[in-house]
Amino acid sequence: MPKPLHSYIWRYALILIAVGLALLPVAWMATMAFKPHTEWVTSASDLHWWPHQETWGNFEYIFTGQTEAVTVSHERTAGKPILASLVTSLLGTLIAVVAGTLGAYAVSRFKVGGNLPLGVLQLRLFPPLAVMIPVMIMWAFLGAMDTWWGLSLIYGIVTLPFAFWLMKTFFDEVPREIEEAALVEGCSWFRVFWKVTLPMVKEALASTALFVFILNWSDYVIALLLTRKEWVTIPVYMNSLSSAMSGQMYGAKAALGLIAALPPVIFGIAIQKYLVRGLTFGALKQ
Amino acid sequence: MTKKKKPVLTTLEREGKTLGLYMTLPAQLLLLFIVAFPLCMQLYVSLSWWGPLDGVKWYYAYESLNWFGNYGEIFSDAKFWGSLGRTFLIVAVVVPVEFLLGLGLAMLFADKFPGKRVFYSIMLMPMMIVPAVAGYMFFMLFQSSGPINDILSAISGTKVDTVWLADPDLAMISVMIADIWQWTPLMFLILLAGMVGVPEDQIKAATLLGANAWHRFWRIVLPRMKTVMIIALVIRSVECFKIFDILYVMTGGGPGVATKSISVYILDLTFKDLEWSYVAAIGLFILVALSLIAVVGIYYMQAAQKKAEA
Repeated sequence: MPKPLHSYIWRYALILIAVGLALLPVAWMATMAFKPHTEWVTSASDLHWWPHQETWGNFEYIFTGQTEAVTVSHERTAGKPILASLVTSLLGTLIAVVAGTLGAYAVSRFKVGGNLPLGVLQLRLFPPLAVMIPVMIMWAFLGAMDTWWGLSLIYGIVTLPFAFWLMKTFFDEVPREIEEAALVEGCSWFRVFWKVTLPMVKEALASTALFVFILNWSDYVIALLLTRKEWVTIPVYMNSLSSAMSGQMYGAKAALGLIAALPPVIFGIAIQKYLVRGLTFGALKQ
Repeated sequence: MTKKKKPVLTTLEREGKTLGLYMTLPAQLLLLFIVAFPLCMQLYVSLSWWGPLDGVKWYYAYESLNWFGNYGEIFSDAKFWGSLGRTFLIVAVVVPVEFLLGLGLAMLFADKFPGKRVFYSIMLMPMMIVPAVAGYMFFMLFQSSGPINDILSAISGTKVDTVWLADPDLAMISVMIADIWQWTPLMFLILLAGMVGVPEDQIKAATLLGANAWHRFWRIVLPRMKTVMIIALVIRSVECFKIFDILYVMTGGGPGVATKSISVYILDLTFKDLEWSYVAAIGLFILVALSLIAVVGIYYMQAAQKKAEA
């Protein structure tokens, strides 16, 4: 049935508005990252979107602690926080995906584990701040405060529900016949899991890992509670880029924000196919 | 053939169960380590007046035991109920708005059209942005000399220099706008997935029978999307109740207490007031309340399902 032209025009107009609104805040940050100090704060009369003089100065500032035209230098550079974000997100992802995959396979195939599925799900129900007091006491006791492994461990636990439920739905979809054939040939269960099933869900496993990485990378509140100085992650470090001396370091913060925003956006587009499944704990498979 | 196979499979099954138990071990241990043990600890600490600067180890908290004193205090803590109220207000405004916007967007994207893939990817971008960074983005946008006032000036023709984040009501609205910007894509994504799941031949049949677009949507698409909609609303409400990152970066809970959500209130108690045993009590209180809501919700949903089946 041919649709009238005006319905297309309406649709495109609305979509363009939506896309514009989605892009606008990101665009402001992206151009701010390349604005020199003099253009950071502008009075409404000479506010402009595109920098008059594009500069890499903001990136120079966050990595070296100084750049021309900014008088207040910064002792702590962004290198360590970026490293901290990377290390803890990666290790947290490893913990969540390994524990989640093993557990999901066991629950999917052997129906063991009792209330494990609901147990991990309830981890997502509560605000992290409501349950952090004992964790902070424990972390202090274990000497895990402000360490790479302490933060990685908690990330692994916090994102376990996503890894578990995602992998469970993928294992549920693997046809049993192939596994059974291998079993009849005399393979042990573990060999079947390792050599037959896991290779079949390779792509799904990679997507799960990326998904979990995005979640860990995006964390703010846990790092705020469990790190002090050495292992602060990007979002926590970002706050230190404003002080009574320097005021708001708009450009520097925007540059850092841009760096922080890139990995999740790229990974997110890469795993688009599984986003619905991941975000709904496998309830919807698209 | 099948008779011969059966005993083999049962041994295998037994082996499988054993292996399965080992395989669940890491996840079980993590849960024990981070849920079971800490919960007991939280309950214990919440029954005392203990604080981290008391110079007493937490396991000696019984020395300042006060049983349910902290829980009693919750009921007369106006700041707590204020923050809880604001949190519910945010959820009550933000989730329906995101839902309606997401539904509208999903309707726009339901059919194929040139450029759909690119637009779709862009629409998903806001929710990929690290929430704390998104908070900072909106912090910049809502400055009095920022781009939002600039755009408003351009539209209205008069100079607008509203101080968004310093006004109690406007700060709340700003936070809500930021959250809506970030999470409408989630609603859109889930609802679109549900809309695509509606069988096409039914829609075609309805079209042939003369149903217009509105009827098709109202009578065929919507009823089939009920589950998807509930999932989207529940997930978003649960996440929105925890709202912290965006809000804290934008306003820090201020001006005054204007945007102080329950998470920000707890953070302040933890670091500014150092009343850890009271925080533990509040945490458990929220835990129990949310669990009750969840149990009641699941019960009603199951009852509704049974009713629908009967």
